[in-house]
Amino acid sequence: MDFKFGEKEEKLRKEIREFVKAELPPGWLMIGLEEGSKDEDWQFTMLMSKKLAERGWLTMAWPEKYGGRGASLWEQLVYKEESRYWSIPGTSMGVSGVNWVGPSLMLFGTEEQKEKYLPPIAAGEPDGVWCTGYSEPNAGSDFANLQTRAVKDGDGYIINGQKVWTSAGHRARWCWLAARTNPNTPKKHQGISIFIVDMKSKGVTINPILNYCGYHGFNEVFFDDVRIPAANLVGEENKGWYQLMTSLSYERGSVGSGAYGCNKRILDELIQYTKEVKHDGRPLFQNPVIRHELAERAAEIEAQRVLIYQTIWKMTRKEIPIYEPSRDKVFNDMVAERLAITGTKILGAYSQVDTQYKDSKWTKLKGCVESLYWLFPGTASAAGTDEIEKNIIGQFGLKLPKSY
Amino acid sequence: MDFGFSEEQRLIQDSAKKFLVKECPKEKVREIEKSDKGYDRDIWRKMAELGWMGIVFPEEHGGTGGEFMDLVILMEEMGKNILPSPFLSTMVCSLSIMQYGTEEQKKKFLPDIAEGKAIWTPALTEASSSYKASGIETHASAKGDEYVLEGTKVFVPDASVANHMLVVARTGKEAKPEDGITVFIVDAKNPNVEVEVIPTTAHDKPCEIKFDKVKVPKGSILGKANEGWEIVEFMLQRGSVLKSAEVSGASQAALEMTNDYAKKRVQFDRPIGSFQAIQHKLADMLTDIEGLKYLVYDAGWRISAGYPSNLHASIVKVRANEVYERVCIDCVKTHGAMGFTDECDIGLYYRRVKYNQFAFGDSDFHKERIAAELERYSPPKL
Repeated sequence: MDFKFGEKEEKLRKEIREFVKAELPPGWLMIGLEEGSKDEDWQFTMLMSKKLAERGWLTMAWPEKYGGRGASLWEQLVYKEESRYWSIPGTSMGVSGVNWVGPSLMLFGTEEQKEKYLPPIAAGEPDGVWCTGYSEPNAGSDFANLQTRAVKDGDGYIINGQKVWTSAGHRARWCWLAARTNPNTPKKHQGISIFIVDMKSKGVTINPILNYCGYHGFNEVFFDDVRIPAANLVGEENKGWYQLMTSLSYERGSVGSGAYGCNKRILDELIQYTKEVKHDGRPLFQNPVIRHELAERAAEIEAQRVLIYQTIWKMTRKEIPIYEPSRDKVFNDMVAERLAITGTKILGAYSQVDTQYKDSKWTKLKGCVESLYWLFPGTASAAGTDEIEKNIIGQFGLKLPKSY
Repeated sequence: MDFGFSEEQRLIQDSAKKFLVKECPKEKVREIEKSDKGYDRDIWRKMAELGWMGIVFPEEHGGTGGEFMDLVILMEEMGKNILPSPFLSTMVCSLSIMQYGTEEQKKKFLPDIAEGKAIWTPALTEASSSYKASGIETHASAKGDEYVLEGTKVFVPDASVANHMLVVARTGKEAKPEDGITVFIVDAKNPNVEVEVIPTTAHDKPCEIKFDKVKVPKGSILGKANEGWEIVEFMLQRGSVLKSAEVSGASQAALEMTNDYAKKRVQFDRPIGSFQAIQHKLADMLTDIEGLKYLVYDAGWRISAGYPSNLHASIVKVRANEVYERVCIDCVKTHGAMGFTDECDIGLYYRRVKYNQFAFGDSDFHKERIAAELERYSPPKL
């Protein structure tokens, strides 16, 4: 048993902090910029992606021949943790490409596909920005219920259907699309295939979906007789579900470390803030209710850290984590919710300020606390609601009967 | 970074598991609860033969030179089987003797502990039932070569079976409550030491102890006179982590038991574990328990490796206190009315909630300690 990082990881941590100091404005703090509501934010995000790629960090765990540097899972964890702690924009470049399209292509793609699609992702290019077409109006938690059709037509496929909650759809060059190729299968999850769709194709329509704070991250995407070449099928026809499950398990584990970094930063900011702000003639941190709440949050965030590390440790032993990523997600959702509630309590009336005005004179801590507060319900449903994740924990972690 | 046990640690865990499953089934736990002593002498002797008591002592003092983490592993297994024993009390005292005792004291006391001949307990808390220095009113005044000890301790674990106690007393009147504290090694059989067992729900037999002008030679001071608070801090830190390891094991066992029940108990023609109302509660427990388990290992490793560990010890204890209570309540409820009965073993775990929470500091106490650490903490800078 050994709970400290090696020299390699500590060196990387130092390098990332030097990078942050050199490349980001002093006191930079931004939560949830990735998909960029405003165009100038997105431009800055892509600029940073490029710089991260130049350092070899953007896709560090990928093999060298695809533009990575074969970094270990622990190095990747440190990178994700630090980049979210310092809120470096552009680390996921629209989420999908870096996080799961690349790794899935490496597992199931043809040589041609790998050569064509991987380098732009690894280089942080606009052509490496992907969105993911999974969710549909009637395929949310019941994702296998998807209705979007792909019909073979000569040397290509014709796509028809609608996707929804498509993060970064308005920024993406490509869509990683799940569509039904065989509607007549005994089970819903058979007959699904994965395709690559050029978002510039004729017949693709993207409509923004604004969240309740007016933030544009999601979209709905319509596919009307969109023709794609047969070469854009990924892996085997009708085997899409199994490919997804396999690549997902490889990918899931790396999500948590970023969430921990983000929570830790907000906690640190709140501790600092309560030491500086005075209430009743003494620092707010001296208020027993506030200091105990911060202590509780600190304890929960530490528990989150060890859970995430344990998942990564399991992956380093070539074991596929099954329920652990779900466990870590449920825990993060709880941590983020409680942290946001404690944080807004600390900010008091100032927590009402609109998060889109990050530089207003009423905004405290660059709006990071309110951003978390308004984001956590969305984060809790993204990539699997808490309820779905608990079903996975029950079924695979506790070996209970399937409950749905 | 490595979450895996070493070969040696795995052996310790395996042998502890086998031994406790065999020697300490639930009927045994119930039998011990009803006994006067509150522990089983036969099991205690065998534990000593297995080398558990001396596991962290150096060889010259009758031990095998292991590390703190070995104790963490043992406590976790004891927690799973809810073994009632004075092991934790004895170990917290032993670790203090190893750290602060003179060579003479180590030679005198450690071998007997290793052989299972001596039981020790820390006598810390008083009427205020607080682990804070301000709660210590028992005092000792120097008279020639002796100190005279006077006062009352309450909720001292295992005192009715202990041979020795580490008694924390006030020896000076200083402005800060932490100053002027001394730790005395007291013979529990001293006629002026009156021990009375407090009836508790956990049947763990904590005691009220009256020290009526108990004479203690100056040579029986552990560490330095008036500077004993450091030792109390040490006991609280080590004790918190070891108690949390026990609680982590107990939580794991309570969930396992309840999960088995949820698979077997059929209503509406289905096992109740197939209902999300039940399944999601069990899933939450698993998540919390695994978080606790790895926090315990992390803290145990930090202490073994010699890193500062006060913050981690308090974090672990807060999580242990809260997770164990939540888990026990939900486990009892999942068992339905059955869980409410004396017959059902889940009650054995539930009955230990308050006992485990109090030992080495409740949540408010440790949150305050976390806050004090956070006050000193400065975030990473660029």
